[in-house]
Amino acid sequence: MNLSSNTPLLSPKIKMADAINQYHSLLTILPRLGIPLGFGEKSIGQLCEEHRVSEALFLLISRVYCQDDYYPTANELQQCPMTDIIQYLITSHKDYLENKLPHIEHHLNTLLEPMDKKYSTLISNFYAEFRKEVEKHFEYEEKVIFPYLRQIISEQEATESATYQKNTFNQQHDDIEDTLNDLSNLLLKYIPAEISPVERVDMLLDMYALSSDIAKHAMMEDRILVPYIQLLESKRHE
Amino acid sequence: MNKIAIAEPSYILRNGLCSLLNELPEVEVIFSTDNLNALYARISALHPDILIINPLLFDYTKRATIRAEFDQLPNLRIIGLITSYIESQHQRQFAGVIELNDDLQRIKSTINQVVNTFQSDSDEPDTDPLSDREKEVLICLSKGLKNNEIADTLNISVHTVITHRKNIVRKTGIKSVAALTVYAILNNLIEEKDII
Repeated sequence: MNLSSNTPLLSPKIKMADAINQYHSLLTILPRLGIPLGFGEKSIGQLCEEHRVSEALFLLISRVYCQDDYYPTANELQQCPMTDIIQYLITSHKDYLENKLPHIEHHLNTLLEPMDKKYSTLISNFYAEFRKEVEKHFEYEEKVIFPYLRQIISEQEATESATYQKNTFNQQHDDIEDTLNDLSNLLLKYIPAEISPVERVDMLLDMYALSSDIAKHAMMEDRILVPYIQLLESKRHE
Repeated sequence: MNKIAIAEPSYILRNGLCSLLNELPEVEVIFSTDNLNALYARISALHPDILIINPLLFDYTKRATIRAEFDQLPNLRIIGLITSYIESQHQRQFAGVIELNDDLQRIKSTINQVVNTFQSDSDEPDTDPLSDREKEVLICLSKGLKNNEIADTLNISVHTVITHRKNIVRKTGIKSVAALTVYAILNNLIEEKDII
């Protein structure tokens, strides 16, 4: 799944199906951008146009997804409508809360069914706490950070009251990933072998996928939003 | 300082890479050659940390990887110098790859990456379960005690408590106290009623 920075990456002319067959994780970004499946032989460019998705946005997001060492250039950042990235992040939050997490929850409940109540309650409580943390974090971004970003993007000027710290994103996503990781280790290593073996593998696979998606989500904020804001700020000082 | 050996048939590439690498303070090229025989003859005596080798020099498609050729040097890390198209499945036998249009920055980060993974997996995998002392620290943690309180309870220094905590996290792969508490209860180290 990793490309070196020299390999010619996704371009508008590549067939969408080819891109996804090569980089499976792109599959998660399509619904968030409103591009449905069943696109036949169409290229990335054609599909972006058809569904009114900025090509620059699609490429920027997919590169973050497919290339671990990808940092966009100032030029690439400027070509991309930044408010669309914020919209993409908000849609991702919704996807986590409405689809991904409930899915994992469903697995977890089935998995814990045969366990002694004494233990299963413990794990469901741990999960419930995690879920609350995630919701709180998303809400903070959507109610505090994103509105502030929108404001400086539109007015290109920050109000004094808004405090924006570029480390905020990073730290909180690390916490979410750490907790997911803790939970996977508990399920992987410390629940007795006979408890829901099939369900457990499914659940772990889903959790690893979610964890890596959240890591990409964090990269998007750290490598796209933060540098873009810095770019705006440095321009303003000129 | 990491000692590097290079095996690359092209004179231009070999010398070009040598002079590039010599710009990096953290590495030193100690040997370069255009053929495998010279490499095999010298490598044990030279003991490089890293070998940068062009896969075209050997039959890279065979099942046994290039790593197996250097069994006697378990700490040697091997980087592929990719100068023509080679399927990614064959590139995977290398700890990292350098490609023709990599710049110095990228070569540097490849080397760093390779050196760092080397440090973590050179150690024997740690398959020991938690020691009795670590279990005691874990029990205290689950009860909500702070580091200094744990130190007092177990009659050890705070520094030692921190070391035990690091080992617990390393062995279990679990970072948060909340999850460690679940671990402690699952393993019957404490009863649920003991937690505050």
